[in-house]
Amino acid sequence: MSVRFDFLVFVLALGCASIACRFCGFWIMRYVAITPRVEAALKATPVAVMVGLVVPTAVHGSVIELVGIAVAGIAMKLTNSDLLAAVIGVAVVAVGRSLKLAG
Amino acid sequence: MRRGVLASQPLAVGVLVYGMAFGLLAREAQISLSEALLMSGLVYSGSAQLVAVSAMSNGQIPTGAAAMAIVGTILLLNARYLLYGAALRPWLGGLPAWQAYPTLGVLGDGNWMLSMKAQSEGENDAGFVFGSGFAMFIPWLGGTWIGSAARALIKNPGLLALDFLLVAFSVAMCVGMFKGRSDLKIVVSAAIAAVLADRFLIPGSAILCAGLAGAVVSWFTFQEPEAR
Repeated sequence: MSVRFDFLVFVLALGCASIACRFCGFWIMRYVAITPRVEAALKATPVAVMVGLVVPTAVHGSVIELVGIAVAGIAMKLTNSDLLAAVIGVAVVAVGRSLKLAG
Repeated sequence: MRRGVLASQPLAVGVLVYGMAFGLLAREAQISLSEALLMSGLVYSGSAQLVAVSAMSNGQIPTGAAAMAIVGTILLLNARYLLYGAALRPWLGGLPAWQAYPTLGVLGDGNWMLSMKAQSEGENDAGFVFGSGFAMFIPWLGGTWIGSAARALIKNPGLLALDFLLVAFSVAMCVGMFKGRSDLKIVVSAAIAAVLADRFLIPGSAILCAGLAGAVVSWFTFQEPEAR
């Protein structure tokens, strides 16, 4: 169980890319005044990013994933707990995939 | 900070499981346990690590142009952190650098979403962001360890639907944060941008494009509150 030198170089390059993304957005905003308009734009990003996370799965996924997304959304409405809703959604997809494999 | 640690516990379970999924896949790509832990510690990005591992599925370590292509992909995949960091500026801007940057170092999708949600509900302790981030970094390493070690025991990881976890969380939090008509334009523009990016750009760009579209749309449609 050792670390290969090539791998270390590779991982350091990936790590730098990752850290740069983490730090730069915060750092740049030091020089941008936070007006109400800027704040509105920043506050819009969480919901928009979440949509962006879901869309590729919805587009490429099978019926199972689509049902999982719908169930997670409905479960959130009913339970108002994001963890519970996510677990229910994952369970639906896990069961769906097992049934597909079995059937 | 304590509130952040506590609030992230449910998500930490998910991170542990996600880390296990990465550990499993890394083992399959002939990445040793210590190498996998090193990667999880330095890169700390599930999607980026999965891309890197899939490029190593033949057991070869990418060099030269191939390695640069993966670095480029990671820059795009993680460009959403530019938005995350920018969104945290009003909250963490008053902190000294030695506190702000480590907080960004342990930032992840889950704890950022959690923090933004907590902030909208009145949380103003910057330690919340660090606490929830750190509380997820540890299970990420732990999960990597377990997954890498347990590869031999699990036959078909896809059946656990672990890859669906982040998606399901996003759906739930999106529904939870949706506050009516003013959010509709954001969701619709983000969805359109995501579909286009997914169709025409590289995989992973959908998140960045959706986030940017939402920010741009709300920038242009912003209305000053009525003066009294």
